[in-house]
Amino acid sequence: MSKKVFAALVAAGLMAMPATGFAAGDSITIGLLSAFTGPFASFGQLQKEGAVLALEQAGYKVAGKTIKVIYADDQLDNEQAVTKAKQLVEQDKVDVLTGLVSGDEGLSVGSYMKGKNIPVVPMYSASEDMTMREWYPFIVRPTWTGAQPMDVFGYWLARTKGFKKIYMIGEDYSYPYNQGGGFKRGFLRGGGMEVKTIWHAVPTSDYSSLIGSIPLDQGYDAVLYNGAGSDAVAFVKQYVEFGMQNKIPLIGQSNTFEKPDLDSMPQEIVSAYSAHLTADDLDTPNWNKFRDAFKTRWDHSPSAASEFAYGCMNLILRGIEAQKGDVTDKAALVKAMRAVDMSDEPRGPVKLDEFNAAVENVYIRQVTLGKDGAMFNKGLVTAHDVSQFGPYDRAVYMKQPADGRTSPPELRSAMPAEMLQVAKDYEFVPFGK
Amino acid sequence: MTTEATRHATTIAAAIVVVALVALPAYVGQYTLTTFIRTIYFGFLALSVGLLLGQGGMISLTQTAFFGLSGYVIGLLGTERGFPSPIPELAGLAAVLLLAFVFGLVVMRTYGTVFLMLTLALGQICWSFVRQNTSLLHGWAGIRGIQPPSPFGLDLTQHAIFYWISLAAFGFGLLVLWRLAESPFGLALNGIRESPRRMSALGYPVFWLRVTAFVIAALYAGIGGILAAWSSGIVTPTAMQLSRTIWILLVVILGGAAHFWGPVLGTVIAVWLDVLISQLTPRYNTVIGIVFVAVILVAPNGILGVLEKIGAAGTGPGRWRRNLFVPRAAEAAPPTHGRGGHT
Repeated sequence: MSKKVFAALVAAGLMAMPATGFAAGDSITIGLLSAFTGPFASFGQLQKEGAVLALEQAGYKVAGKTIKVIYADDQLDNEQAVTKAKQLVEQDKVDVLTGLVSGDEGLSVGSYMKGKNIPVVPMYSASEDMTMREWYPFIVRPTWTGAQPMDVFGYWLARTKGFKKIYMIGEDYSYPYNQGGGFKRGFLRGGGMEVKTIWHAVPTSDYSSLIGSIPLDQGYDAVLYNGAGSDAVAFVKQYVEFGMQNKIPLIGQSNTFEKPDLDSMPQEIVSAYSAHLTADDLDTPNWNKFRDAFKTRWDHSPSAASEFAYGCMNLILRGIEAQKGDVTDKAALVKAMRAVDMSDEPRGPVKLDEFNAAVENVYIRQVTLGKDGAMFNKGLVTAHDVSQFGPYDRAVYMKQPADGRTSPPELRSAMPAEMLQVAKDYEFVPFGK
Repeated sequence: MTTEATRHATTIAAAIVVVALVALPAYVGQYTLTTFIRTIYFGFLALSVGLLLGQGGMISLTQTAFFGLSGYVIGLLGTERGFPSPIPELAGLAAVLLLAFVFGLVVMRTYGTVFLMLTLALGQICWSFVRQNTSLLHGWAGIRGIQPPSPFGLDLTQHAIFYWISLAAFGFGLLVLWRLAESPFGLALNGIRESPRRMSALGYPVFWLRVTAFVIAALYAGIGGILAAWSSGIVTPTAMQLSRTIWILLVVILGGAAHFWGPVLGTVIAVWLDVLISQLTPRYNTVIGIVFVAVILVAPNGILGVLEKIGAAGTGPGRWRRNLFVPRAAEAAPPTHGRGGHT
């Protein structure tokens, strides 16, 4: 046979290679799409560990069905995220899609998944529009939005610390917009006057010019670094190297001081504040049980990303269990997930609102030096039952433009009056109550 | 085997491949089809690089900028401003032609390393611009929610229809390139590759021929960019970033830059390698990197170069070979890089 004919036949054979989708029946397939490489690799890895713990505790079996998980890495690239989501949907025929570590990654995949009739359970991706302006009923997010803890944080700083002016330097994409937006609303509502906002491209490694241009004589009470991952480690190190923390205290967004990145930061930042939905010294039976199991399995402490993933995976498994393992009707599966009782969630009780978004505790935390010489996020105060709309009326909140580079405004004087007044604001209780 | 028999066999083989490709939606799964669509839009990009490299001997690192540009234009005009098709698509291609013409005026005054560095700089400027422009292009997040249009009532959201349209466009694109290679323009380009000075002395407008080649190549990248944006529904700075630029260059070399079918073969292999290996190991980028390094070390003329050598042992030079990247004289000379082993 001619070599060319042979080559053609090989080519034809390659094309005929069947898609490796396997028959449904005894197994249920969950796709976990996340960033296991790239700037947020640490979050992606911790997320995976939390999900695996939940799966192992269930023995990869629910209602007699085997749970098969397919992991896909999107390298924190939105285009790659859509490509991998396609693979999970079209080739692997996943019954549920979960994972998603970053804001735009979630929005991109959410936009692709619309109309696919498959439940999407974002674990750590926190852009609020996914459960707000771009929401559709197949999205279930029992975790958080960026604004949720930050609105509480800003309000608390203005109210109890008396801060008036904040200088915020943030990563230029949707999740920090949302975190910064929540912060501005809470801070200005609580009595703050200004949140000066500077954005930088992701990722950045040299912050000297950004740090060098922070004005020292204009009465800023704190510098808020609104970024995370390898960017946060670099920023915090350089902030300390420039001796800035002696001049203006540094505070962070929810992820800035998260473990394990905190372990790479200099100890000069002890006493820095942040707000999140977990704290490293939570001491409830549910948290301790989860933390001990996690430490036993992975040999290090869990982070918020691990806890969120653990909770999401449990929600998925319990939803499947409620459906007795029958996942053919995806709308019914979503309904079953909505009905799951999440009062035993390790970080605190969680309920879902009408957009399938979490209503839960927010903790204000402070970086503290532990007895073992390692820093951790110590809980200070708690706000209960915080929704993604904060203390605002839903209609008023939804009427505002989506959080972006320039919205909401930086100055209290430019903020719409309806965003400075609420019927009932947060009540803070001591941490642990 | 006689030359005639070889030609006969080649025709039969080609017919089999064409039928297999057209009938593909009938016998493969949805994801295989999606992967073929990816192969086609990256194939356009590879043809863009391959045309300049194979025909003109120019290594351009700007082609991904054109690939991204057309996607951004349809996202901006179609998805965000709501202009009806085909206005965004035509505007996208027009933008690509215009930018390629302007860039061409600059870069085509140079050769060799200077050309390489200039195209690198222009490509990086485009990438930095889209990455940092958040007011219009949404920076790192890009533009999402791009939908393919429905020309003549064809529903491009259907995988099979999208595939057939892409395949037809690709087939047409290949045909045009084939004719181009045989045309006086193509031959002049080959002449410029070998010796611009001699071509100039013969009276050829070397500068304008090179600019024209650059614009044509950019058009191929632009078409690929539109298909990519329609297919993935999103356009981000990734489309233009340096790693993508290097990747597509390696893809072309992998297939065989000196051969007409090299860019196509390289794309098919690279895209499928990515899909298949990424299912096996999380370290798939390492594996793919090793494959690229190995090919370039062992077979700098690419896979088609190797096949040609094997074929040459029995049946003489393969007929499929059209355009030489490596000049014949240089090819006949012994390898100079010291590794040896493939003469």
